[in-house]
Amino acid sequence: MTIDSLYQTFGNIFYRFGAIVLFILVWQLACSTGLAPETFVASPMVIIKTLYQYALDGSLYKNTIISLSRAFYGFILAVVVAVPLGFMLGGWFKSFERIIGPLLTFLGQFNPFALFSVFLLLFGIGEFSKVAMIFWVSIWPLLYNASLGVKTVDPGLIKLARSMGMGRIKLLTKIVIPSSASFLFSGLRLAAGTAFFMLIPAEMMGASRGLGWLIINAQVNYQIPKLYTGTLVIVVLGIVIDYFFRFLEKKVVIWKEAQNL
Amino acid sequence: MWLAKTIFVKYSVLVFLLLLWELSGVFNWVDQAFFPSLSTTVETIVSMWSKVHLFMHLMVSLCRVLVSLIISLILAIPFAFLFARVLPTFFSRIEALLRVFSIINPYCLFPLFVVFFGSGEIAKISVLTWVSMWPIFFSTLAGIKNVDPLLVKTAKSMDAGPITIFFKVVLPGALPSIFNGIRIGVEMSFFILIAAEMTGATAGLGWIVHSASALNQVTMVYGAGLLIVVLGVFLNRSLNFLRSGLFFWKEERDPIAGITGPLVGAKRISNTTLAIMAAVFVAVLSIGLYEIYRAEVMLNDPTVIPEYRVWTE
Repeated sequence: MTIDSLYQTFGNIFYRFGAIVLFILVWQLACSTGLAPETFVASPMVIIKTLYQYALDGSLYKNTIISLSRAFYGFILAVVVAVPLGFMLGGWFKSFERIIGPLLTFLGQFNPFALFSVFLLLFGIGEFSKVAMIFWVSIWPLLYNASLGVKTVDPGLIKLARSMGMGRIKLLTKIVIPSSASFLFSGLRLAAGTAFFMLIPAEMMGASRGLGWLIINAQVNYQIPKLYTGTLVIVVLGIVIDYFFRFLEKKVVIWKEAQNL
Repeated sequence: MWLAKTIFVKYSVLVFLLLLWELSGVFNWVDQAFFPSLSTTVETIVSMWSKVHLFMHLMVSLCRVLVSLIISLILAIPFAFLFARVLPTFFSRIEALLRVFSIINPYCLFPLFVVFFGSGEIAKISVLTWVSMWPIFFSTLAGIKNVDPLLVKTAKSMDAGPITIFFKVVLPGALPSIFNGIRIGVEMSFFILIAAEMTGATAGLGWIVHSASALNQVTMVYGAGLLIVVLGVFLNRSLNFLRSGLFFWKEERDPIAGITGPLVGAKRISNTTLAIMAAVFVAVLSIGLYEIYRAEVMLNDPTVIPEYRVWTE
């Protein structure tokens, strides 16, 4: 890399992210000059200090791991159930899909919070009610995208493969899965995003550990630096999860042309 | 006949499930204490009408969504037009920052807003505004960008001024996209509203669910939950109805499949229907504002309605 291109890259980065850096600087300045009252706003420096302190005593790590594992279990359960089901609905039981499709979209529109209290009633206040909630919210995008992916496979390709004597399993692994992969990945990304998104209010309402609990507890006890730190961790994790799935899609689905979304 | 058949196919499974729910109560398949039947739930909703001032809570919830929608429209649309048409370079510099703002999990902002504004209406309205603002803003931007440049050029060649171009070409071209943003914004804010009402509120549907579960009123949890679900679906359906009526000329485009085609059965919405919908909007807004005020009074005045106090405590 020449100096010139290096310079250009940095210029590009600054052009795109300069506003973020500026925002943080203004925030810090407003706090240190006393323009933003300390009782309401924690400065970036204080947030970093608090982050360091909680990272040292392990409480942040513990709560993050608990939150992530809840989101992970619910998400994995949803993947295991929804992807095969979506494939079957989109591929083999088309008439059944016509009947059940409207119901699935209807269920997907349910407000999950109306259900959360019901989940609490049915499953108790333990881990299972939270995992069930995550499962519920992440199953719909997966199901929708999996069945849509199978439905949009080019029928010509299937006929061609059939005429060359391809078996069912090979058809699935060589034709159906690769050509519906980009749908699957966007379903995965949406579902993982929603799972982490909905986990926070679920933890706010009925949990005694986890990131959602951490910030609601900080608010109740009026620990402003802790509140900001918890929020920052949640925001960063949300962004990381989103980018992880985008990255994965780019690396795995290399044959797909860019879609104009 | 064809229509009846489609409707039958569409709703048969739903009706079957509802029937199953009802029969589970009749034949006592599941414990009624934890899973009340459909008829019990509906009965509870009816009894809640007088018992817990259901109408007030309903109007309070709806009004919060509508007020935040109005505020976010006022904030998002002018800024989107400003950034897209007047200050595109400036916008490309701050776009990353705005995108980061828009993907912040709104639930973790709620405690922050409570710290800033207290636990009153302002905190709830501002978190809802925050949530519905970003989809409206970004879809307005996309709508303006996707206006066919050829149309703008044609208008220019016919000697149309910038104001005429804006009102006759750009705005109508961007409207379907703007409306799509409004739809997403309303849905999101209704989602978040229930959570916000569950964590810190003294009125509203989410509050009913929360306090009913705290007081172990199982049927009431189901009743309020059913009402929230029905209301959410109703909001969604009426927005879709309005969209297909207003933009009947627009080709439908699935955001994921990218399949284009004209909207099926889309017809121009009649002026009477539009007027009725606008009247309902204004009525809900004004009744809701009054009910928010009434809820506040009831909460602070111990003499007004005793059972309301009992229910809150």
